Amino acid sequence: MNSILKSVIFMFITALVFSSVVTAVKIANQDRIEINQKIKLQRTILNVLGLDKNTELTPEQITEIYNKRIKEDKLGDRTLYICYSEDGKAVAGYAFPVDGPGFWGPVYAMAAVDADVTELMGVSFYRHSETPGLGGRISEKWFSDQFKNLTLETGGKDNPYFYLTPEGDNKKDNDLDAVTGASRTSDAVEAFLNRELRIVAGELRNRKEK
Amino acid sequence: MNEVSSTTLFFAAIFTNNILLTNFLGLCPFLSISKQMKSAFGLAVAVAFVMGSTAALNNLVYYHLLLPYHLEHFRYIVFIIIIAGFVQLVEMTIERFFPPLYYVLGIFLPLITVNCAILGVSLFMIIRKYTLVQSVAYGAGSGIGWLLAIITISAIRQKIEGKTKLPKGLEGPAITLIITGILSLAFIVFSGMINVQ
Amino acid sequence: MQKRLTNKEILIAGIWKDNPVLRQVLGICSTLAVTNLLANTLVMCAGLIFTTIMSSMTVSLLRNLIPSRIRMMVQTLIIASYVIIVDIVIQSYLPDISEALGPYVGLIITNCIIMGRCEAFAQNNKIIPSGIDGLAMGIGYTLVLVIIAIVRESLGFGTLLGFRVMPEFFTPWTIMIVAPGAFFVLGVFIWIIRALTPETAELTEIKAG
Repeated sequence: MNSILKSVIFMFITALVFSSVVTAVKIANQDRIEINQKIKLQRTILNVLGLDKNTELTPEQITEIYNKRIKEDKLGDRTLYICYSEDGKAVAGYAFPVDGPGFWGPVYAMAAVDADVTELMGVSFYRHSETPGLGGRISEKWFSDQFKNLTLETGGKDNPYFYLTPEGDNKKDNDLDAVTGASRTSDAVEAFLNRELRIVAGELRNRKEK
Repeated sequence: MNEVSSTTLFFAAIFTNNILLTNFLGLCPFLSISKQMKSAFGLAVAVAFVMGSTAALNNLVYYHLLLPYHLEHFRYIVFIIIIAGFVQLVEMTIERFFPPLYYVLGIFLPLITVNCAILGVSLFMIIRKYTLVQSVAYGAGSGIGWLLAIITISAIRQKIEGKTKLPKGLEGPAITLIITGILSLAFIVFSGMINVQ
Repeated sequence: MQKRLTNKEILIAGIWKDNPVLRQVLGICSTLAVTNLLANTLVMCAGLIFTTIMSSMTVSLLRNLIPSRIRMMVQTLIIASYVIIVDIVIQSYLPDISEALGPYVGLIITNCIIMGRCEAFAQNNKIIPSGIDGLAMGIGYTLVLVIIAIVRESLGFGTLLGFRVMPEFFTPWTIMIVAPGAFFVLGVFIWIIRALTPETAELTEIKAG
């Protein structure tokens, strides 16, 4: 009996000591982790709105531009990031998260549209679990750059804004290049992005009319 | 990820997203035990059962205990202790009530605690934000997928070993890994079968 | 009782003679998955080396205090604590890599090498040799995985640490990026090493776990 008690006390003390150490490390780094996540989100938002002008900004610059130009609001369940013009008077565009199922796991993306909701300003697929080098290439610049200036005025429920088709000739205006060797990921992206964009575009237009 | 049905997830975990062949989890016991078909089967059944059950337990604990109190960073410790405790419990129950089953599975149970695939399932379930039902489907599917892989390999190994003359150094782990590679390649073909994951 | 080895002997044993991956085929699960990029492999291995050294030393320090019936529980607790620390540090300083590694950092806990060394070595040895043993096993492990990562990244992406190393006309081998590539490279690597050093091949009675 005594030895069981001793074991229990020993286990308890070890657990206590180690939990305290772990918690201390966690608290010491908590701020840094949160800042990292915040900067990453802000960097993505500036990127899809074209505010970073294709340059690598430092974290300080990101926070400065973000605080100056972006206001956060709600659009249904999602956060809407409203971008204001340089003088702060007119709305320059909207950024919003568009998430959906990829092939292996969820794909998190950020998209931006202009103030009149007529075309896409940019898309960035910033977190996913697709295979690196294959489906994972959706996070590369050449892929997301194709979405710039894509028109959102083609109407109709069954009429997607864009198609992802293999590279080659004979392409229509809204045929974008799919990722070679990753047709499943491309199909998934095409499906959820078209759907989400249609929903958000509708909500944004309603919001403007109010 | 709430849009994926549990059935799809279950089959995806067995075929397209096999935890051993695409995520490399549970390799150590896999290499050592796949020598004999019979023990491979016993271990795999135990693994599949524990995987499904602990996925459910850990899901409940994580969303109802750890997350509300901001203790997420303790999840590694909590998960592994739950797994160890659960395995112990299963071992005692089987020993008490089903002695014949214990005779077959008993020796494998302690090995399960350190099987990375089981902890892996619980960690993937958190990262991919699965619901309780999805977690159970994913856990059970992964267990069955693991079983399928280990049985296939041990069957092939039984055919090869001792009967085929292999070059020096290729016997044992080396040839097993290469066969596993081919099997993994074969499982990629299943990816056309299930659409979303 | 085996005779006490000198520190240098322990180091050599871990890196070459008893190399955990090549000789014992232990603990590959948690890291093999991230070997398609060298950078991820290096971070993962650094985390593993830290965990092996620290948990071996802690177990050794407490070796006369831990009640034997709860030994495994205490060891798991110690290892898990260090892994959480590693995870927090990677999240704080290398956020992108932390995301790429996903659950695999947490899976260091179940890496058989760490637990195996605590049981087989740290349990019966003083702190310094235990630390060196942890270091040696960690380095031995890292060496193998880094070689695999170099093969996979250079053939699969044509790059190393993100820099292009292959000529322009080189077509990347997609198979190296996906899972089968890792199995093939590791299998062939073990084959080559064992074929070149046949006299130690019998030592490899694989331990379960």
